[in-house]
Amino acid sequence: MSAIEVDRLSHVYSGAEGGVPALQDISLSVEPGKFVVIVGPSGCGKTSLLMMLAGLRHQSSGTILCDGRPITAPDPSRVGVVFQEASLFPWLTSLDNTEFPLALRGTPRAERRRRAEEMLNLVGLKGFGARYPHELSGGMKQRVSIARGLVQDPPVLLMDEPFAALDEQTRMTMGHELLRIWSKTRKTVVFITHSLTEAVYLADEVLVMSPRPGRIIDRITIDLPRPRTYEMMATDTFGKLRERIWQQIRKPE
Amino acid sequence: MSQFQLVSTRLTLFAAFLAAWAILPKVGILDPRLLPPLGDVLAMLGKQIVRAQVQEAIGVTALEVVVAFLIAVPLGTVIGVAAAESDYFGQIFKPMLFYVFSVPKSIFLPMFILTFGIGFPQKVAYAAFSTIFIVIMSASAAVESVKADHVLVARSCGATRSQILTRIYVPSMMPVLLETLRISMIFNFTGVMIAEMYASRTGIGHLISNWGENYQMPELFSGIVLLSAVAISFNEAVRLLEGRVSRWRT
Amino acid sequence: MRLPSPATVRWGLLVLLLVLWEGLPQTGLVPELFLPSLSKTLVALWAQREEYFDALLVTLSEVGIAMLIACGAGILTGALVGGIVTLRKLMLPVFSSLYAVPIVILYPIFTAWFGIGSESKIAFAGIYGFFPVMLSTAAGIRTIDPQYILAARSMGATLPQQIARVIIPASIPTVLTGLRLGGALTIIGVVVSEMLTSSAGIGYLVSRYRTILDSAHVFAAILMILLLSILFDLLARAVERRTLVWQTAGRQSRPGAAGSSPAVPAPAPV
Repeated sequence: MSAIEVDRLSHVYSGAEGGVPALQDISLSVEPGKFVVIVGPSGCGKTSLLMMLAGLRHQSSGTILCDGRPITAPDPSRVGVVFQEASLFPWLTSLDNTEFPLALRGTPRAERRRRAEEMLNLVGLKGFGARYPHELSGGMKQRVSIARGLVQDPPVLLMDEPFAALDEQTRMTMGHELLRIWSKTRKTVVFITHSLTEAVYLADEVLVMSPRPGRIIDRITIDLPRPRTYEMMATDTFGKLRERIWQQIRKPE
Repeated sequence: MSQFQLVSTRLTLFAAFLAAWAILPKVGILDPRLLPPLGDVLAMLGKQIVRAQVQEAIGVTALEVVVAFLIAVPLGTVIGVAAAESDYFGQIFKPMLFYVFSVPKSIFLPMFILTFGIGFPQKVAYAAFSTIFIVIMSASAAVESVKADHVLVARSCGATRSQILTRIYVPSMMPVLLETLRISMIFNFTGVMIAEMYASRTGIGHLISNWGENYQMPELFSGIVLLSAVAISFNEAVRLLEGRVSRWRT
Repeated sequence: MRLPSPATVRWGLLVLLLVLWEGLPQTGLVPELFLPSLSKTLVALWAQREEYFDALLVTLSEVGIAMLIACGAGILTGALVGGIVTLRKLMLPVFSSLYAVPIVILYPIFTAWFGIGSESKIAFAGIYGFFPVMLSTAAGIRTIDPQYILAARSMGATLPQQIARVIIPASIPTVLTGLRLGGALTIIGVVVSEMLTSSAGIGYLVSRYRTILDSAHVFAAILMILLLSILFDLLARAVERRTLVWQTAGRQSRPGAAGSSPAVPAPAPV
């Protein structure tokens, strides 16, 4: 059974002059444990799609199944979400931020402390639990966000341009770290990005979306061996894969 | 300058001010009939504070302040939150509030007297009226300080409506709300004072106004010292609390 | 059904307010003592127009002098407090503590010192208006982007040149806001002090007619003060807009501004 199954999903935004079609006839299926990256031009509806996968927005038509059951509302035990920068609550410490989803569920305090600390260790932030977000660097903040996304141990992790606000160097390191965390936890990951290098470096499969209304116009399997290394970025295969995605994105309609 | 030096310089300046107030009128450099020396004022304060008439006046004023505050703050908060949460409501009322806000409230004092007389209800009504607009404005600002991103994250974690309220709205708004509380208390206190000084039979504002008219300068200054001390203490206490809850702010 | 536009609703409410002002007392739903009708108020104003005009002149002259004092002293002190780091660190916390004290309780001192004539009004209103002008000027100078000064220095600007060409123009927006707030407060300060103890001015008319329960004349005076303060506000905003054509909205929401104290102090309670 697929971890995520999207069937003929379409979405129309209601506007002043009738509706604006945002997503059109999207079908995809992601095997458990796969790392899927979605790329596409700005405004193609990538984020809308992710919001729907997370149960944060309702599609006009079509179905989304996760673990065989439809997604109609946010369910952090099935789907964890990591947003762009600035999504940590500034009034909570790293530890409190991480255990936030558990606190909502009323998990006993000792249990959620243990889980949250475990997650902070996993993302490489052992000993930073008492820090407030403004005391952390951009990369560290995103590590906390990842820990928060994973704290309920959901089979699926959705990531909406999580490293977009970071500098190039931190971004590379965080990509590498993400792969390390992913290989340890074997989650199914759906990752949105603007960076083609990041897409090829991380993905098992890259889905390319068209400009609005967003459709999936290409699926590219990235058959680079794992674990991925920085050196691979300099190879011909890597360059060709990136070139192929670029050709799809810039293709005039 | 270090924090220690700043504080000690401030204390030194304050002490110098008090010393000047104590000595200059005493030695006749300033006219003690116009500015009674600090010693006399404090002695008078000690004498006044045990008088039944003064204690009663303080009690009345305190009750007016508390009741007006309890009316203006909850009511203003509800209106302010409604104005911030509902686009339509907000678009209608925000520009109006802006104008109402820049209008002096004290000129409406005679209307309150014509309607309520000059007793307790009039003081409370006027003080609540002069306070509610700043509460409305600050409450809207507090709601607007809640980030949409944070609400989205909480929803993705499966938060219910009431959990979003208690875990996102309340902590986000808390620093602004406390500031609102503090500033509205200043407005409220001023409102009661103006109302009492303008027309009243009792209350501490009425007393200082009388003392001024009768040139009872030591009494007048003792009243002002007392009121200032109370106002500053309350303000600083809430500021301390503000600092506590906004530790997470950069 | 479509809702009417917010602006329409606003004007509608204003009209409704005026209609109620006229209608409620006329129909007897609200006693004339509480609220004399709009027409009666205007008639009362016209009947005593000479008295009101003389009172307006007294009030305006007091406001004018108080504004000069408040703005002059406020800008000067504010520039010192804002420009000199030590002084600012030393004094700003003191001013924000003093802000808690209702200034109106000092008014009896002024009447005792200066009598019940114009002097006590000018002193009181001058102090009332002084604080916002001073605090905004200090804030205006403090919040100047250090990059501007750095850039000017890199181009070889001397200290006087930096002050004349960078610091003054860059602090004008906040200072103007302070002048608007301070100006409004001097008007209020004069009126309030006239209402409390005096023998002339519009505030005095309010109080005198109130004691003889002549509501129409009380409301006529209130109406005049309202118009005066709204006119001043419109005028000051127009000046601000004309002066600040170069200013973009982005300046108010500079990063790092969140959480720090607002650049312009909270208005005073009156």
